[in-house]
Amino acid sequence: MLKRIVCAAALALAIAPAMDAEAAELRFAGTTPALTMDPHASNDFVTTAIYRQVYDSLVGLTLDMELAPGLATDWEYLGDNTWRFMIRDGVVFHDGSPLTAEDIKFSIERAKGSRFYTSLFGGITEVNVSGDNTVDVISTTPDPVLPRKMARMFIMSKPWAEENDALDVPDLGAEGGEAFSIRNANGTGPMKLVSHDQAVQTVFAKNENYWGEYPGNIETATYLPIGSSPTRVAALLSGEVDMVIDLPLQDINRVQSTSGFKVQQEPQLIWMQIELDGSRDVALDTFKKDGSPIESNPFKDVRVRQALAHAIDADLIADRVMRGSARVVGIAATPGLGGYQEDLDQRWPTDIEKAKSLLEEAGYGEGFITTLNCPLERYVNTEEICRAVAAMLARVGIEVRVNGMVWPDFARMLVNGPESSFHLIGLTPNSWDVQDAFTATMMTRDPETKQGFFNWALYSNPTVDKVAKELPATIDEEARTALYREGLEAAKETVSAVYLHQPMLTWGLTDAIEAPMRGDATVTLQNVQKAD
Amino acid sequence: MAALIARRLGHGILVLFVVSLLAFLLSSLVGDPVASILGLNATPEDRAELAQRLGLDQPFFTRYATFLWNAIHFEFATSYAAQRPVSDLLIERIPATLELAAVALVLSLAVGIPLGLLAAVNRGRWWATALMSASVIGLSLPTFVVGILLIFVFSVQLGWLPSFGRGETVAIGWWTTGFLTASGLKALIMPALALAISQVALVARLVRAEMLDVLRADYIRFAKARGIKKRAIEFSHALRNTLIPVITVSGIQLGFLVAFAVVAEAVFQWPGLGLLFLQALGSTDIPVISAFLLLAAAFFVTINLVVDCLYVLVDPRLRAGGALGGGPTL
Repeated sequence: MLKRIVCAAALALAIAPAMDAEAAELRFAGTTPALTMDPHASNDFVTTAIYRQVYDSLVGLTLDMELAPGLATDWEYLGDNTWRFMIRDGVVFHDGSPLTAEDIKFSIERAKGSRFYTSLFGGITEVNVSGDNTVDVISTTPDPVLPRKMARMFIMSKPWAEENDALDVPDLGAEGGEAFSIRNANGTGPMKLVSHDQAVQTVFAKNENYWGEYPGNIETATYLPIGSSPTRVAALLSGEVDMVIDLPLQDINRVQSTSGFKVQQEPQLIWMQIELDGSRDVALDTFKKDGSPIESNPFKDVRVRQALAHAIDADLIADRVMRGSARVVGIAATPGLGGYQEDLDQRWPTDIEKAKSLLEEAGYGEGFITTLNCPLERYVNTEEICRAVAAMLARVGIEVRVNGMVWPDFARMLVNGPESSFHLIGLTPNSWDVQDAFTATMMTRDPETKQGFFNWALYSNPTVDKVAKELPATIDEEARTALYREGLEAAKETVSAVYLHQPMLTWGLTDAIEAPMRGDATVTLQNVQKAD
Repeated sequence: MAALIARRLGHGILVLFVVSLLAFLLSSLVGDPVASILGLNATPEDRAELAQRLGLDQPFFTRYATFLWNAIHFEFATSYAAQRPVSDLLIERIPATLELAAVALVLSLAVGIPLGLLAAVNRGRWWATALMSASVIGLSLPTFVVGILLIFVFSVQLGWLPSFGRGETVAIGWWTTGFLTASGLKALIMPALALAISQVALVARLVRAEMLDVLRADYIRFAKARGIKKRAIEFSHALRNTLIPVITVSGIQLGFLVAFAVVAEAVFQWPGLGLLFLQALGSTDIPVISAFLLLAAAFFVTINLVVDCLYVLVDPRLRAGGALGGGPTL
């Protein structure tokens, strides 16, 4: 008996230090590197998901993308276009200095001056420290979605920036060497930055003084960019990395069927849609069936738009082209965005006969020939999606030529024009609130007033315009909900675009890792649990 | 001889000039860097301001002149994506690529030369023919296929070698080397092998052809007639004369290896110049794209020049005033 106890004790002793010594380390890999660690110098979503480990946003996010207290514990609208943010007490930066209201003011002003964030924070006119722990932010409008925008406002230490000559956002095309903040960081986030080498790896260590909860057990984490997909998957299967954050669709089955590995999915905060020219009198690159030029714009006719919505089977695309790794969307909003209305989220039913009769009514019974501009990169399986759309429209007599374009070309076509009557594109409202979908991408485009500036297909509808004008001036929640619903319904009825699906974020992991997913593609390292 | 070298140098500079123009032209065709940097959600003012900031609103020749002037001083502006000086990035990445190319070259010579010799000496035997036929397969297998096969066998199935990266490196001044650590050496094996395989076949075929030529030469027959042992003739007389062209070719090969390293680097996430170039293409990072193209051209030109000089040293006929003027050029 005694012997057994001694043995057990000895065993416990032997195991305990071993477990301690084996601090949990997470190695995770993705396609592209984090471009910079300066939180105001890039809006690339991979880069943001990496510097978010080190820098906290003013307003926090739950795993469901809902707003939560972050560095600001609370916020309220004071009237007069002013929002007040209450700053959390007792937060320290990684270098040990305390977080002050001055740091918040400094960070907001720094981010606002960055050209990556002007469309998000450009409306802010003034930031005032109104008390020890409060900051007032004044904008040109009441800006009801400002708290949600602040989930993308990353807070930096002012004294640290002063010491290291990093007061300004590193500017492209600047003379001289590299800014300090590109490879060094000092935030308040759950992880400290150990090193950042864009070519090789970004290394983090747990922030022992983190103000928030840290339910996971990760002590160090390394992000490894591995561009080649087969190599990335091989690195996972050979155990060199614990997790791959963008598993290619074709490898899902392989990873899932290998023992010791699993696959997790979560809809991404972006949806794919096909945009249709809503304003031009003559559609671009569109012809009659005999090949002669068309003298009209079929897409301007709401019946044609509805016919397309009936003819394009988004379920089939999600199922076949995306191999099930997609969530079909029915309205211009997705879960996780402010203003999403779940009960409205119903797709137009796929109905070929209905589509044909609508086309007949509109005078296009014979169909027509048109060109679908299709970006080849940036989003998942775009070329296959475009081909599927072409095949589906062929069933109702519309002959679609797919014009594949590399991303820089595609982007150039839109921003310098827009010069497209029919294209596929992915959409995320900049502020993560549907309000932005209305004001930026659906409102009648007017370059003078910069309204609807990202409305690439020149969609135009009076109800949507009204909603887009009223929403930014409406604070009352109930009134806002009514406006969201009115706008979303009008947009769906007039087919602001043929909504397709949200692609899934797909992670491949070893069974030892428990990691919750979030729509903005962040691996919340503080929540990751690694078993021995 | 000096005249010859001066003329070669002149050629080289001309080539570099043309490449610089092409590189610059190409990089202005790959897309709109402003749209790539800012994405779609930026205001037109921001776009215009950034274009001005980057000098993209200047006329083509003004931009080209600035680029050329800076390039002469080894200054290549700032990378759009990394926001760091391009020259820093290049210097950081050069050691990885050169080490990989050098190991691949040594590997291809170490395997290719004996293989070629065996095939030449044993000409006509079935296995020598089979060997040469097999080398055609090596020659025609694309590097990325070889790379992925290697990864599948040695990383996933056997778990012996790392599938990506360079392992631990040791910094010696600005140079980082993977030769001094176990993980660095292990990481080198597969990328170097993938890169060397097609070159092995090339070297083997070249050695075989040269060797067969030499073996037919008169002095070999005389040596045979004098009763010198077959092995001594083959390895002492014939081999030495065979290797002269092989050495010249391998110089040029090093240039090819550096260029082909792009593929191997992409497959193995090898942090060298090729990977930098591919990433730059993906993000319309014009300063990096044009600097890489120029650097690659300079590398080729330099190697060519060195090879030409070596040729002059080796071949006495060229030393006599350069009347022949020839010499291998690529």
